[in-house]
Amino acid sequence: MPEQESQRPTRRSFLDLLLGVSAIAWLASVVYPVLRYLKPLPRAGTGGPTRLSPAELAKLSKDAFVIVPVSGKRVLVFQNAAQQLLAVDAKCTHEGCTVKYLASESVIWCACHNARFDLDGRVLSGPPPRPLPKYAVERQEDGGVLVVAERTQA
Amino acid sequence: MKRLLPCTLICSLALAVSAADKPPIPEKLAALLTATNDTGQPVITGEQRTYFDGLNDHITALLSNATETEIITRADHLASILALGLRPQKMEVLLQDNCVLCHTDPEVQKPETLFSLSPPTGSNSHLNLRHVVDDVHFARGLSCSGCHGGDPASDKLEHTHVKEWPATGRYKNRAWVLSFCARCHSDPVFMNRFNPALPTDQLAKYKDSPHGKLLIETKDPRAPDCLSCHGVHGIRTAKNPLSTVNPKRVHETCAACHANPSTMAGFKTPDGSPMPTNQVAEYRASVHGRALLERGDLGAPTCNKCHGNHAAMPVGLSSVSQSCSLCHAANASLFDGSKHKIAFEEHKWPQCAKCHGNHGIGKTHDAMLSGGPRSLCVECHQQYAKDNPACTATAEYFYASITHMNEGWNRFGAAAEHLAIRGLDVEPIHDKLNELADTVKQARSHIHSFSKNSFDQVAAPGNKAVQEISALVDNANSEYRFRQLGLAGSIVLIALLMTAVYFKLRRLER
Amino acid sequence: MSDHGHERSGLRGWLDRRYQITPLIEFLRHKEVPKGPHSMVWYYLGGTTTFFFMVQVLTGVLLLMYYQPGEATAYESMRYLTTKVPFGWLMRSIHCWSAHLMIISLVAHMFSTMMLKAYRPPRELTWVTGYIMFALTLGFGFSGYLLPWNKLAFFATSVGTDLVKSVPVAGDWLLHVLRGGPDVTANTLYRFFALHVVILPLLFVGLIAIHLLFVQRQGMAPPLGQKVAPRGMKFFPSFALRDLLLWLFCLMILLVLSVFLPYGPGIPGMEWELGEKADPFEPAFPGIKPEWYFLWEYQLLKEFPPHLFGLEGPQVCLLVVTLLLAVWAIIPWLDRQAARNEPSSGFSDFGWGAIVFLTFLTLKAWDIGGLESVDSPASLKVIARTCAWWTLGLGVIVIIVRFVFYLDRWFIFTGAALLHVALHGLVGLSYLTAGAIAASLAAAAVGIRILSARKTRASLGGVV
Repeated sequence: MPEQESQRPTRRSFLDLLLGVSAIAWLASVVYPVLRYLKPLPRAGTGGPTRLSPAELAKLSKDAFVIVPVSGKRVLVFQNAAQQLLAVDAKCTHEGCTVKYLASESVIWCACHNARFDLDGRVLSGPPPRPLPKYAVERQEDGGVLVVAERTQA
Repeated sequence: MKRLLPCTLICSLALAVSAADKPPIPEKLAALLTATNDTGQPVITGEQRTYFDGLNDHITALLSNATETEIITRADHLASILALGLRPQKMEVLLQDNCVLCHTDPEVQKPETLFSLSPPTGSNSHLNLRHVVDDVHFARGLSCSGCHGGDPASDKLEHTHVKEWPATGRYKNRAWVLSFCARCHSDPVFMNRFNPALPTDQLAKYKDSPHGKLLIETKDPRAPDCLSCHGVHGIRTAKNPLSTVNPKRVHETCAACHANPSTMAGFKTPDGSPMPTNQVAEYRASVHGRALLERGDLGAPTCNKCHGNHAAMPVGLSSVSQSCSLCHAANASLFDGSKHKIAFEEHKWPQCAKCHGNHGIGKTHDAMLSGGPRSLCVECHQQYAKDNPACTATAEYFYASITHMNEGWNRFGAAAEHLAIRGLDVEPIHDKLNELADTVKQARSHIHSFSKNSFDQVAAPGNKAVQEISALVDNANSEYRFRQLGLAGSIVLIALLMTAVYFKLRRLER
Repeated sequence: MSDHGHERSGLRGWLDRRYQITPLIEFLRHKEVPKGPHSMVWYYLGGTTTFFFMVQVLTGVLLLMYYQPGEATAYESMRYLTTKVPFGWLMRSIHCWSAHLMIISLVAHMFSTMMLKAYRPPRELTWVTGYIMFALTLGFGFSGYLLPWNKLAFFATSVGTDLVKSVPVAGDWLLHVLRGGPDVTANTLYRFFALHVVILPLLFVGLIAIHLLFVQRQGMAPPLGQKVAPRGMKFFPSFALRDLLLWLFCLMILLVLSVFLPYGPGIPGMEWELGEKADPFEPAFPGIKPEWYFLWEYQLLKEFPPHLFGLEGPQVCLLVVTLLLAVWAIIPWLDRQAARNEPSSGFSDFGWGAIVFLTFLTLKAWDIGGLESVDSPASLKVIARTCAWWTLGLGVIVIIVRFVFYLDRWFIFTGAALLHVALHGLVGLSYLTAGAIAASLAAAAVGIRILSARKTRASLGGVV
């Protein structure tokens, strides 16, 4: 029966195709919710400008720098030699370690791989591929310090 | 079982020891205690005997003394005294008052003058012993002789009673009652011995009141005196629920005259119309009446709160809002600053009462603001403010605003219930609904400013809340639709896969 | 290297050359599921239980990503999970529903293997491992219930763990160890979390492995009384694809239930709305009940008076329950007739009697037919009567079906259980009195039957 011979493979392969497609579609309908479930939601932090707490202010005056949370990010607030207030992102652009300000050398330094940044966040030496983003920070009349939203690197 | 025997021994020992302390009961008293009636039953019941056994020595001695002096000679007489179950202080007053002791003895007195625990109703001279011993005067030691005269210690019948009273006509003209009670109650020094907190200006207030003038000047026999409201023998403090002047019963006391058409016939209100007798009925159906009488809310006013009690008089025109503002301060202050106050004063209308009524104050409803059949605003404004259509517009605006918020609250409340059952997060919706409910309450109060600006300040957050809730509910509904859609999609895919598997199975098994 | 290995190509050949998987493949190709005159539907129940368990593991691991045990964080993390996390509500809903469906499937599996006598030698240990897994599953349910740390869970756990006190000698120690203290506190939460997430899963997976190993080694039990085993159904692909079909269907049911009834069917003992956070200082609310699979034991405890035969009521109850459970565990060794591959409707009857016993208690615990004031003596009488009628109705149907379609002739246990129900619910005797009467009558009837069976066998000259 030549017709049957030629018919059977197409019907069989159609069935296999149907089976395969429906199995993948079903699997996708299971995997999609799981993947969406697993992705964490953005951290709900206060989006606006952040005032430093008294404890943070004290640390700033003592060590010349302090690392504060701003909208879920770590920000390094520091005073340079001319008593100016500056702020950069505290997350090193290499592997994400938290950097610190070395007042004696007027440089921002990351201990993990000896990366060095200047006070504008530009890379001086070491493995980081990108500069540190800067933040606007201002001293207020009542002595408080306010860190405002991110400013991209000029 | 094992423990029963030693227990019995110890208990009997304890009883014997305690019984040994008690002095033996005198013969006469003992005889009465064990006396039996015709059918052989003991007259003194078990309860009364238990009460007697619990009395201290002093009271027992007084009791025995009464039997010795032959004042108490019968077991049923003793029973009626023991049945009162009085505490020792009252028992002492009673047992030293021969008036009570004689007057409760069925053998000595005629039935009409007898004290009884349950007297036949309607008998004028038949007194309720329970009332007498509950009386606040009796409890303080002022027993029969304090008012009636005579010597309580005397066992002889004397007629120095009525020494203080008019010999004749004391039922017809009751003005003598005033000075009789005031003898003590208007003497601050005397009253200080018993209750320093009790005021002593009742008579002064009463004299200048309509009731007082009726009794003293007009000499009207219908006029109330102290006893009309406070009772005679069973006078209780206002805190006592059985007192005729307890807040929950004041309206009944006033109604005794003021709801009786024949008593009130001929009296007129200050403006000349006949005195109505429906005030108490209206009050009972009012929000104040229902709050006090049905829910027991003592914050709700009764007759004396607005009218005064000893100086009771109709509430003056300018005093209505003063009276209401004692509790409803916020609304009163809004009203007092509004243009309605000036208008009402011009027309000589009783402020709050013009819209809300006086005795039969019902629940307010939003429709009072509308232009519909239950409206309050439109009628007056058409008649008296014909040249100001803005007023009607304001009233309509109030109504529309409030009903919009109210409807929103109802609708979204139901929607939230619906959503909660289906597993959606309704907490933000509930929070906003609570905010809305608060705003509606404030808005309703603020209509008393009769100013659109003032009202809007309060109502604006409410309207905003309604919009926000609507958005939240829409979000939740779309989330639910998403879930249903997702489920439908999954079912389709599973069904598809099942079909494919089924046919594959069939093919493989061929 | 074998010649066969060289012949196979691709992945199969690669694996075969390293691990000699050909015998395994051949075993799987020839694996068969026994076919008989009865329906094969019962053979699928073990698979559905496993399916629901796998769903539990998957959703459980996902829930673990967000759930934080702890007094201040358990309830809050659940709230966050069910309201803010995408599909979080779905994962939780599936986890709750799958738990209940797993238990239903497990109970059906247990009773069907019991009725079909699959426990007879050589499969005794399969029964025992299954029995232990049943206990572990109830432990899963009990420990998992506390984790949301809401009011319902808190009180249900307090009431449930209290029972442990009645164990003689070690009762107090057990209570303290189970609760992590004298009362249910955050410590209890930590322990239950460890139980639910680590201890029980490890034990359960180990037991499943052993249980399935036994089943693979011995094959599934053929129907009772087969002299010659007919050709079975090939496991691959026939049974396996049918299994898959059924699992997909179960998944569909699970999803529909999870989306439309995310808080359960709303029957007491089967509701899991998150509600309010647990507060140990608030009194328990009226009508608190444990989960439905514990309701029979909860009701049985209520039937016992505070003191009985010099012991505390709960202790006697615990003793009775332990005895019954012990008997259930050793059934493979008690059932001599099944061991001889003969029909043993006596043990089927015992199984049905157990079902009647459990059904009546569970219905009663649900206050079916109760009046307004559920705890009043009048209401309790009405509840007992209503539940009795329902149980009797169902019981009579079961007896008729067994008599007509399965030609069973043993009705002593089912009859005794129904008599117990009738005496308590309709006549009004106390539960224990009715039980004592029914039990003694049953014992007498069984004794008579066994003796007369022995006599008949003896008179036949010992020929079986």
